[in-house]
Amino acid sequence: MTFNGWLQIAVFFALVLLAAKPLGLYMARVYERKRTWLDPVLVPVERLLYRLTGVDADAEMRWTEYGAAMLVFSLATMLLTYAVERLQHAIPLWNPQHLAAVEPYLAWSTAGSFTTNTNWQAYVPEQTMSYLTQMFGLATHNFWSAAVGMALAIAFIRGIARRESKTLGNFWVDLTRGTLWVLAPICLVYALALVSQGVIQNFKPYDTATLVEKQTVTAPGTDGKPVTTTVASQTIAQGPVASQEAIKMLGTNGGGFMNANSSHPFENPTPLSNLLEMFSIFAIPGGLCITLGVMAGSPRHGWAVFAAMGVLWFAGVFTAYWAEAQPNPLLHGVDQQAAMTQPGGNMEGKEVRFGIANSALFATVTTDASCGAVNAMHDSFMPLGGMVPLTNIMLGEVIFGGVGAGMYGMLVFVIVTVFIAGLMVGRTPEYLGKKVQAFDVQMAMLYLLIFPLIILGFAAVSVLSQSFGTSSLSNHGPHGLAQILYAFASATGNNGSAFAGLNANTHWYLVTQGVAMLAGRFLMIVPMLAIAGNLAMKKIAPPSLGTFPVDNTLFAVLLTGVVVIVGALTFFPALSLGPILEHLLLRSGVAF
Amino acid sequence: MSDLAFLASSLVFFVVAVWYIHGCRSLMKGGRDDA
Repeated sequence: MTFNGWLQIAVFFALVLLAAKPLGLYMARVYERKRTWLDPVLVPVERLLYRLTGVDADAEMRWTEYGAAMLVFSLATMLLTYAVERLQHAIPLWNPQHLAAVEPYLAWSTAGSFTTNTNWQAYVPEQTMSYLTQMFGLATHNFWSAAVGMALAIAFIRGIARRESKTLGNFWVDLTRGTLWVLAPICLVYALALVSQGVIQNFKPYDTATLVEKQTVTAPGTDGKPVTTTVASQTIAQGPVASQEAIKMLGTNGGGFMNANSSHPFENPTPLSNLLEMFSIFAIPGGLCITLGVMAGSPRHGWAVFAAMGVLWFAGVFTAYWAEAQPNPLLHGVDQQAAMTQPGGNMEGKEVRFGIANSALFATVTTDASCGAVNAMHDSFMPLGGMVPLTNIMLGEVIFGGVGAGMYGMLVFVIVTVFIAGLMVGRTPEYLGKKVQAFDVQMAMLYLLIFPLIILGFAAVSVLSQSFGTSSLSNHGPHGLAQILYAFASATGNNGSAFAGLNANTHWYLVTQGVAMLAGRFLMIVPMLAIAGNLAMKKIAPPSLGTFPVDNTLFAVLLTGVVVIVGALTFFPALSLGPILEHLLLRSGVAF
Repeated sequence: MSDLAFLASSLVFFVVAVWYIHGCRSLMKGGRDDA
């Protein structure tokens, strides 16, 4: 680890900290329908949209109606994307490479993946998706799924803030305002900033470059026998990348325009673009902590939640950076120390222009949130370095988390924390004046238990079958287990990053991951909304001696502990058979 | 055929999700211990 590396990590977090308050206050105004400086431009657009769609913007929804509207919207947009993928060959627009229709299993998995903000990609985008599909089928989902997540977080916050109310707001209004006032304007500026760094934005057919030096490649042929070919040219993919890249990061979606994602120089060309991309992952989730404080009437509570997230983020980045900066014990006689001329440590799977600190930071940030973009291959991390992104996802991606999803996930942990604190002091648990009672805790436990059930259930079936489970692995032993665990954790957590090494483009993985993504999104949203609806109906009791304060350091420490303990109790056995065992065996000279 | 199968399975999932909302609401009504 170097001073320079830590300095860059500190600059990153300082930016997140500085942006949180202004962005959080702005979002509170947007969702409370107060006046903002963008109103003169956007209010007419908003009114037009409501008139065209027949939305009554003043109608309030109960939690069941809010949830049903969200489901209808998600189903409709998922089917739309499926149709675009299946018909892309027949649409004479923006398909200069004349790419064929996407195969049904893959089209369904991808439509589910982008609908749920997962953006798991079991395909090579530049060889599979036309520009039209990338823009109309996938980038639009990046906006919609992010706006849905933000709307749900705001609904939960309203549940905390409102007293004796049966409603949580209007889903269609929250969806529209989040898209128009927050995501679209930031992305407009952000995409131009990325273009200034060299991210491409065009509709050209792919370029072909003649190689300076011809390459001889040997690969298995159709009959399985090795075939040697000489490669003299290389195809350079093009496309409208910047416009998709901006929302890919800001909306914590993560699905790359290119297969190499943010390690591709057309997606993430410079250290500055890398910093911007990491910052934009945390920008809205960090701001939502402040929005929580403002809307719930307790700004210090928002900062306490921010602090808990910050501590967990630091623990992750410290571990990942430390693990990746260590020399590989199997490389004997090789100088692996950091110096002015070399980064040292484990550089396998990392881009030289980012180095170890920015690769470890990116991996931590992208999995703290439900982003899933990558600028390095997590499969090539040292065992404990690779365990950090896996653990972040397994903790429920509540460390800032996905836009909206991280906030409502953390608020479920807040409910559990307040409940445990109430048990400790022997009083009825209260959260900002609302009594936390049996139904709230039942729904919180349902939310928390669905997640590991899906991950561990599908992973268990996969490791038992050689024919459809372990046959997709590129490594076996504990590393292979980590690959399978990562795949299902990533899908269920709606992260979308791949550990790499696992071929998920098989019928088993496409279908099970599609189910995991849908269940991990919608079956967790429902109990969360139920808690919000139940809280909204309650009276607000005045603070008393028995009230557990949720705006101080003790609360932040307790919340951090609950997140870690719930995650550790649930997943530690699996982690101990995967990356922890791999780490110990690596120290004994055994690799997989 | 595959398209219809995936369309049907998507619809089934979302119908299950709506039923799930109904289940949680029933639990809420049955389990309310205050107001």
